[in-house]
Amino acid sequence: MEFSFKGKNIVFNKPLTNLDKFVLKFTSILERLGIRYVIISGYVPILFGRSRDTEDVDLFIEQLSAQKFSGFWEAAKNEDFRCINAYSAKQAKEDFLEYGLAIRFALHDRFIPNFEVKYPKTRLSEYSLDNRIKVIIGEHYLYTSKLELQIAFKLYLGTDKDIEDAVHLWDLFKDNLDKQTVKDFAEDLGVTHKLGKLKW
Amino acid sequence: MVHLPKIDLKELAKEVRQNRKQRLEFVRQYVEWLKKTPNKVWVKGQKKVLGE
Repeated sequence: MEFSFKGKNIVFNKPLTNLDKFVLKFTSILERLGIRYVIISGYVPILFGRSRDTEDVDLFIEQLSAQKFSGFWEAAKNEDFRCINAYSAKQAKEDFLEYGLAIRFALHDRFIPNFEVKYPKTRLSEYSLDNRIKVIIGEHYLYTSKLELQIAFKLYLGTDKDIEDAVHLWDLFKDNLDKQTVKDFAEDLGVTHKLGKLKW
Repeated sequence: MVHLPKIDLKELAKEVRQNRKQRLEFVRQYVEWLKKTPNKVWVKGQKKVLGE
């Protein structure tokens, strides 16, 4: 696997899968509208080669004004995305996002895969958005959460799949990551006892 | 009438633990392979898993 760390960026030139293209199609809408976002959870290890599929791509977006959110709603519609659990921009924003609930977008004739979009409502999710990292894939790029946090959070979630994701990311990037930061996050999340799974 | 086998929960838990351990070993072996394999090559395998 060829990749390089450059400051806060990871340069990672690889052929795109259909899932990567689907993600970039959605994130390019956010980019175009100047909406800050961060991709978290399952897609991150998949982007970096994990051998499993996923039904949804989780991301946080910054809190938006009604006008900006409405612009995003229309832009998503114009790019063939539809929201599958809210029927209007107003409902999506006021009854879902602002209550800490996720809205989901899929391509118009599909249900999966879909994007699970939330506002950051905890200190950890805010940190994740504020400290995102840029992954440059050829002429494209996207933002994911800091890998140290991603690994510790996967340990916290704790299902077999999550632990495998954590091991995948750690084994792949351990020479480039800050072990103490993983430890600190694990401590904050109360999962230091699971660090042994990483065999460090 | 169907006769169900008597389930030994301890034996089952041991099997689940072993299975988990083996899966983690597989993830580690796979990452080792990924590290030394060009992006163009490993993506081909991943596309098969993703059904592309």
